[in-house]
Amino acid sequence: MFSELAQLVINGVVAGTILAVPAIGFTAIFGVLRFPNFTIASHATIGAFAGYVANVYFGWPAWAALLLAFAIPALSGVAVDEYLLKPLRKAGPLTAAIASVGLVIVLENVVRFFFGNDLRGYDLPLYRDWSFAGLRIGPQQVENMAVAVIAMVVLFVFLGFTRMGKAMRAVADNPMLASIKGINADSVGRLVNLVGMGLAGLGGMLIGLDTSIDPLTGFRAILPIFAAAVVGGLGSIPGAVVGALTVGIGEELSIMALGPEYRSVFGFFAILFVLLFRPRGILGERAY
Amino acid sequence: MIQKTSLTATRRTVIKAAGAAAFVAAMPSVLRAQDGPIHLGALNPLTGAGGSYGPSMRKAIEHGVALINANGGLLGRQVELSGEDTQTNPDAAVRAARKLIDADKVVAVMGTWASSVTTAVAPVCWESKVFLTCVSGSDTITLLPHHGYLVRTQPNSTLQMEKLAEFLGKDLGAKRVFILGAQTPFAKPNEERLTADLPKYGSELVGALVYDKDKTSFRSEVDIALKAEPDMIYMNGYAPDVTVVIKDLFKSGYDKGRVAQAYAMNQKVLDNLPAEVANGIYTIAPSPAVGSSAYKDLSDFLGTADIDPYSCQTNDHIALVALAIEKAGEASGDAIRENIRAISQNAAGEKVENVVEGLKALRAGKEINYSGASGPCDFTDIGDILDTNFRYEIVEAGKFKTLRVG
Repeated sequence: MFSELAQLVINGVVAGTILAVPAIGFTAIFGVLRFPNFTIASHATIGAFAGYVANVYFGWPAWAALLLAFAIPALSGVAVDEYLLKPLRKAGPLTAAIASVGLVIVLENVVRFFFGNDLRGYDLPLYRDWSFAGLRIGPQQVENMAVAVIAMVVLFVFLGFTRMGKAMRAVADNPMLASIKGINADSVGRLVNLVGMGLAGLGGMLIGLDTSIDPLTGFRAILPIFAAAVVGGLGSIPGAVVGALTVGIGEELSIMALGPEYRSVFGFFAILFVLLFRPRGILGERAY
Repeated sequence: MIQKTSLTATRRTVIKAAGAAAFVAAMPSVLRAQDGPIHLGALNPLTGAGGSYGPSMRKAIEHGVALINANGGLLGRQVELSGEDTQTNPDAAVRAARKLIDADKVVAVMGTWASSVTTAVAPVCWESKVFLTCVSGSDTITLLPHHGYLVRTQPNSTLQMEKLAEFLGKDLGAKRVFILGAQTPFAKPNEERLTADLPKYGSELVGALVYDKDKTSFRSEVDIALKAEPDMIYMNGYAPDVTVVIKDLFKSGYDKGRVAQAYAMNQKVLDNLPAEVANGIYTIAPSPAVGSSAYKDLSDFLGTADIDPYSCQTNDHIALVALAIEKAGEASGDAIRENIRAISQNAAGEKVENVVEGLKALRAGKEINYSGASGPCDFTDIGDILDTNFRYEIVEAGKFKTLRVG
């Protein structure tokens, strides 16, 4: 019983850590631009495919492919926001959110246009899990978790110690005050899209490394990503990490209580529970 | 004066027009459409889990339509094909079916793939008296109250599970079978069938688990399966989730038997798995009629010697629908329903293997018995396929090797 529980928690921590990467992107964009940008799903897919091209076509190692999985969706995220979503934001957050849902379908089909529907896997060896004390964990999972942790540390350093990072937090905390202080909201908007969508792409590839990818890779992950952001507190970056771990571990533990077929229910249930009892999320709305 | 004449003429015109409109509205819709093309619908999984089959299934239908139109059409009218994407998603498929039926006025919808999609689309079709042909396997589909507006060319779960139980128990000598299945309409029926059929071959079902197929990892599910100590795991899902299950089983250290349906474990899945991970996986699939002239013709058209069973089946769908319309002398869902068995399983009829031959024979006043690229195309009263071959394969060195067909 104990080892079963411990195994589920390990699986949940690994899943949650990977989930945290795109969830941070989602919540950061919400914090600054004040609307849920669901194209995070498509950018996770774009990242997964950018990494695939680098790894399979160009023969890059996984770590280098991960850099491209960050860069391409970062650029496409900025472009999509600049030309399509920004003009709509004036009409209110709901308009922008609905437009982003539409864009998910458009971008997903752009990927499909170039790569088709087939499943694709990275050109990496698959390793058997390590076992200890009746528990097991995969080398790929550990690597993925390490990448996710490094990405988070870099982001926290950026937000905490650089001028641009501080500007981003300032806009997220109080846009009015930030503009009075002379912070250019447009530049910060571009920056948050660059970082947020880049993280989504990185998360997309991390998910793909352990499984396989197709044009729906990001779309399948959007519910737990959204749940993680809401549970942690929309707009709060540490909240997204806490939320992702909660959702990751919660989904795994729900297997014991409800059975595997109801795993997705946990995401919905978590959103419902938080909205009913603590609408601001576990850590509230503070960006950092 | 001029004004008055003009006014009278206008009134007459209006009365004539109104009369004509009333007459047209009073006519049965069949008569109204008599001069234009005959509209048929293709509803295939161009995207989603069935996305690796949909485009080829669609081409097989288009090929049939092109052949029919090049040979004088049906009842002297051209055939116009309207195509939609199910997205392998019941909601999207129902919207697409509504569009085909309400806007495009099709009399038949051909080629739904996933069982959940067919289950959702079937009521839309039978309520509109539109004929539906599908390639879905779940037992529950033909048990729907479809009033005869549905046939399938894919063997049902009962037949598939009988064959699987025989293969696992008799051919492979598996003793303890576990099902890791995706949440689909056939998950539970398959479990029940295997529970009943495996003991006939000295084997037993030691457990079954239904998982949510949209998850990105099934590690915990694999742990649950391994606790039952199976010597054979039946991976009863679709390609995207089965790929993940295969990887997770490998990582867990499991090195005993694995079996999957060939639609979930196809060449494309294999290309994306390291050889040592996929080696030794068994697959089972309804086998097309590889020796038939219809198969050869389709193979030449698609440019591949190894056609998937679904494209063979949809190629037969268009042939069956077209021949039934020609036989009936009328293009409607009812006409297809009344005549489909008359052209597909009339033992006294001339055996024909492609739609063009069939049309020529019907026009010459002969009776016909169609069998196509997928097989004999004979149906039970509720629309199940009567007979089909199965092909059993194993993965060796990254390639499929046929063990037997039968």
